[in-house]
Amino acid sequence: MLGHKPSLPLPPHRTPRSAVSANLATPAMSIFEYNGSAVVAMVGKNCFAIASDRRLGVQLQTVATDFQRVFKIHGKLYLGLSGLATDAQTLYQRLVFKHKLYQLREERDMKPETFASLVSALLYEKRFGPYFCQPIIAGLGEDNEPFICTMDCIGAKELAKDFVVSGTASESLYGACESMYKPNMEPEELFETISQALLSSVDRDCLSGWGGYVLVVTPTEVQERVLKGRMD
Amino acid sequence: MSRRYDSRTTIFSPEGRLYQVEYAMEAIGNAGSALGILAADGVVLVGEKKVTSKLLQSSRSAEKMYKIDSHLACAVAGIMSDANILINTARLHAQRYALSYQEAIPVEQLVQSLCDTKQGYTQFGGLRPFGVSFLFGGWDKKHGFQLYMSDPSGNYGGWKAAAVGANSQAAQSMLKQDYRDGMTREEAVALALKVLSKTMDSTSLTAEKLELAEVFLQPGTGEVQYQVCSPDAMGKLLAKAGLTQPAPDA
Repeated sequence: MLGHKPSLPLPPHRTPRSAVSANLATPAMSIFEYNGSAVVAMVGKNCFAIASDRRLGVQLQTVATDFQRVFKIHGKLYLGLSGLATDAQTLYQRLVFKHKLYQLREERDMKPETFASLVSALLYEKRFGPYFCQPIIAGLGEDNEPFICTMDCIGAKELAKDFVVSGTASESLYGACESMYKPNMEPEELFETISQALLSSVDRDCLSGWGGYVLVVTPTEVQERVLKGRMD
Repeated sequence: MSRRYDSRTTIFSPEGRLYQVEYAMEAIGNAGSALGILAADGVVLVGEKKVTSKLLQSSRSAEKMYKIDSHLACAVAGIMSDANILINTARLHAQRYALSYQEAIPVEQLVQSLCDTKQGYTQFGGLRPFGVSFLFGGWDKKHGFQLYMSDPSGNYGGWKAAAVGANSQAAQSMLKQDYRDGMTREEAVALALKVLSKTMDSTSLTAEKLELAEVFLQPGTGEVQYQVCSPDAMGKLLAKAGLTQPAPDA
């Protein structure tokens, strides 16, 4: 999987004035860390949960505390996008374009597996000038079987049976999910688990946080909840 | 008849006519009819299915009605293969607009762009025109519910009620007599069925021969809905309008 470390191409001794206004001592920041993000998805018993933080920053400064990173594709398919915010928004808009045409032609919604392939192909098209996003796809497939997967910014798919994480807080998220997760959780318990994992992870990451947004999807209903954590 | 001016689309006849365009309209005059009526709370589109063999197994839910975007639909009369190309173009255009402006495309703009495509085939390229007429029904924020009719020449107009396809002249004059402003969708459906039953060639009106679609605002959410009537619901509507043929064994 492609790492998150490539830096912005900067000349050795100067930082561009546009990027750093007041704080001249900031070292070169990775493009994936420019806005800050945390997204996680977990599989439960006939359900799944997808959650994200709500902070939008410009390097060190917080600019919004209600930023949306989890998007609906259709009733049983959701997409979470971490990384550069503008790419997250553009990628989502382009995927909606493709999905709407698919719906019109095939007269049905896209399966999560198919959608994952579509996202992967779209990302690989930009192999040498990528979208700086790491998507998380979560949905209920045929027979309402939960499906989650993630991929790197150029479309390498990683299917998982338990949980997937992405964003600046991903390392903390891996640890939190690994210890808190257990299989076949009911929606209520899944909500608790994913919320605790998210909040404790973003607390260890200065670039993500300002609350959380959690979506729990079962075959019959979708529950959205906003979490209040450490508001910093 | 100036037969030597027939063969190229891109030439006017001495009388100032474009024969290929007119011949395209002839082709449509032989196709299954379609009616559109603008109601106060929606747009009603009704189509007559020409081929109703029992052997036909269609994968699509509708033969004459097509959804272009969530707020826009159209009924088709003419050569179906030509229609498929144009509908695809329309769908792509609507999505490109939505991608650029993050807003639903206004109905007239979509109609205009499609008609611009159709017009191109009457002026350059040497290709024949599309043998399709459309009835577009949709909703946008600026003008609310709208109904447009377009023909192979690329002309279009906004209408309160319109008919295309076989016997469209007769249907149009009947609509002119009976249409009243401010009709509800239910009244519009009843009117459409009545007009179709009088102008259709076939002797009886059954649910298998008709398709009905409506564009309206969902009562709770206010979102635009496009709904194709199911065959059962269709049967009930026909019975209510008193138009069904009695059952053969009755």
